[in-house]
Order: sequence, then C-alpha cells, then structure tokens
Amino acid sequence: MSLRSFLIFSGVLLLAVLLACTDDAMPPLVVTDVELSRPLPGVNMSAGYLALTNNSAQAIRITRVSSPQFDAIEIHETVIEDEIARMRPVSELVVGSGETLRLQRGSLHLMMRQSGELDGSITLNLYGDDQLLLSFDTELDPAGT
Amino acid sequence: MKLKNLIFAFVLGTALAAGVWTATNMQRAAAELHAATVLPAPAELPEFALLDHNGASIDRSVFEGHWNLVFFGFTNCPDICPITLQVLSTAKRQLAESGFSPLPRIVLVSVDPVRDSPEKMAQYINAFGEGNLGITGDIDELRKLTSKLGIYFQKRDGDGDYYSVDHSSVIIVINPAGEFHALFSGSHTPESFVHDLPLLVATAKHPSGNGK
Repeated sequence: MSLRSFLIFSGVLLLAVLLACTDDAMPPLVVTDVELSRPLPGVNMSAGYLALTNNSAQAIRITRVSSPQFDAIEIHETVIEDEIARMRPVSELVVGSGETLRLQRGSLHLMMRQSGELDGSITLNLYGDDQLLLSFDTELDPAGT
Repeated sequence: MKLKNLIFAFVLGTALAAGVWTATNMQRAAAELHAATVLPAPAELPEFALLDHNGASIDRSVFEGHWNLVFFGFTNCPDICPITLQVLSTAKRQLAESGFSPLPRIVLVSVDPVRDSPEKMAQYINAFGEGNLGITGDIDELRKLTSKLGIYFQKRDGDGDYYSVDHSSVIIVINPAGEFHALFSGSHTPESFVHDLPLLVATAKHPSGNGK
C-alpha cells in the first residue's frame, strides 16, 4: 500500500469513527428546561412545561405522555383570542427535524392530574403512538412556580 | 355688593381651576397608562349574593374600602389562572417594596362554582399571598356580576368531573367605592400593574383604600 492510499484509508476510517461517536452523543429526542409544578393547595391539577429538541433527520410525533405518579397527563394548549382564554386538548406534538418545540406558560403545556400524594422524583414517559420514545426522571417544583 | 361679587368670582374661579386641573390630570393619566383602560365614569355594580372564601355571604359592598384587582378564573385551571394570579401577586409585592399605598387586593371570582367550594378557594388563593379574596357561590348570582362587567365564561364538555371553563382573561379594577373603575386587557405582566395602578389611584375620586 502506498503512503497516499494509506492516508486516504486512515482518513475514511477516522471519519467513520467520528460519525459513529457523534451519533451516540446525540439522541434523537432530548428534553430540557423541564418545569413540573406540584398542584396548588386544594386542587389536584397542575401544569408541566418543557422543551423538546429533535436531533434526528425525521419529524418526531409525541402522541401520549404518562407518568406512574399521575392519574392522567394530557397535552393542552391555552389560546387567548378577543380577551377570552380557552384551553384545548392537543392530539400530538410534532417536533420537526433539527427543531425545538417549547411547552410554556400561556401556550402548549401538560395538564397533569393526580389524586394521591406526590413526593420525591417523578418519571415522565413520552410516546409516539405506542412506542416509548423517551423516559426521564425529574423533580417537582413547588406549587405556584 | 362689590364684596359679594368678589367672593362669587373667587369661588367660581376656584371651582373652574379645580375642574381644569382634574381633567388635565385624568387626560395625562390616560395618556400614560400602559395597559389599563379607564371607564369614562365609574359604574355601579349590580346587586348579587355570593360567598367569600370563608363561606360568608357577601354582596357588592365586599369590594368597598379596597382597590380590587379582580380576576375571573377557576382552581382546576392549570395554566393561565395560576399564571395570572402569580403576576398579580408579584405586582402587589413590587408595589409594596416601592412604598406604594394603598396596596390592591387580589380577588379571584370562580367561574366554576360547582367545583370551587369556599374551602377550596381559601386554600387556593392563600397560595398567592395574604389578604386575597376568593368569591364563589350560586351560578345565577355569579352571572349578575359577570354580565355587568362584560365577563364571559362557558363550561366545556369534559370527562365527568374533569372539564375546562373558557373565561375572560381581563383583570377588572373595582375602586374603594365599590365601582367598576377600569380594566387591564392584553398580556398581563407585573410591570403593567406596577406602572398603571398608581396612576389610576392618583386620578380617582376615591383614592383611599384600606389595603395593607
């Protein structure tokens, strides 16, 4: 093998290794800026907010969210039109390739319902149809934050 | 005769000057307001019979003696209602820190009286600071108040006890005389209340309140 051939082969091999490492370091769906509040006193409902980043080449659809610590979690959107606030269920969240979708106050949010006591960390599961896309643990923020 | 005319002229002149000063101040205040809209003249509230968060019967006189920032929402609202109440709470704290007096009273009127009992209202509003007022009660009595104030609310179909209520997002200002004085519309921020409320109070005929 000539020196030139060796260098080309080594370069290709190195590039392949780097790409492989890069893929391992960038999961397709990343969740950040998580804010899940405890319910306020007297109620069993609270809101959750987070940012979803899609590092994959295809759009990611999230159709269901669940948690063993909550009775039910629904995806909703607050819409204010003509000074009237309406909360509407959202069937799915679509995060485009390379994009970040933010659930935030006054907009898209998780509506979380629980009947029992909440303490410690909670687990949140994100599904695309019936496939579990991501599961993570987080702590609840104090009520009203 | 001359003295009588002089006295008359003095009184008339003073009255005219006071009127011009008041009108000028009100115009200036209106021009400087960021988010509040002042009614051309404060409007009397209708009679109603509701309950406060202690379960006591109340009528329209419950608003007297305070500058009231009144929000119509419900405790099972997870997003916009606690956000709005937190904005009002933050504004009240910032006004207190600035030395402003009288401090406004935050009032939550439930548009979901079926689920929002006085006990639940008491627990809920206390999470947003001291001295707040919760109001709930008979829905027909509630409509007497909301219709006068132009407040909209409508229960949505849901799953049994789990439903939402569409509702107006404006904040109603009721002055210490118990009158509909102004409203805050648009996206609520603490800054808009901290800026506008002192102007509303300064230009009002009944600036005094008992707010702490």
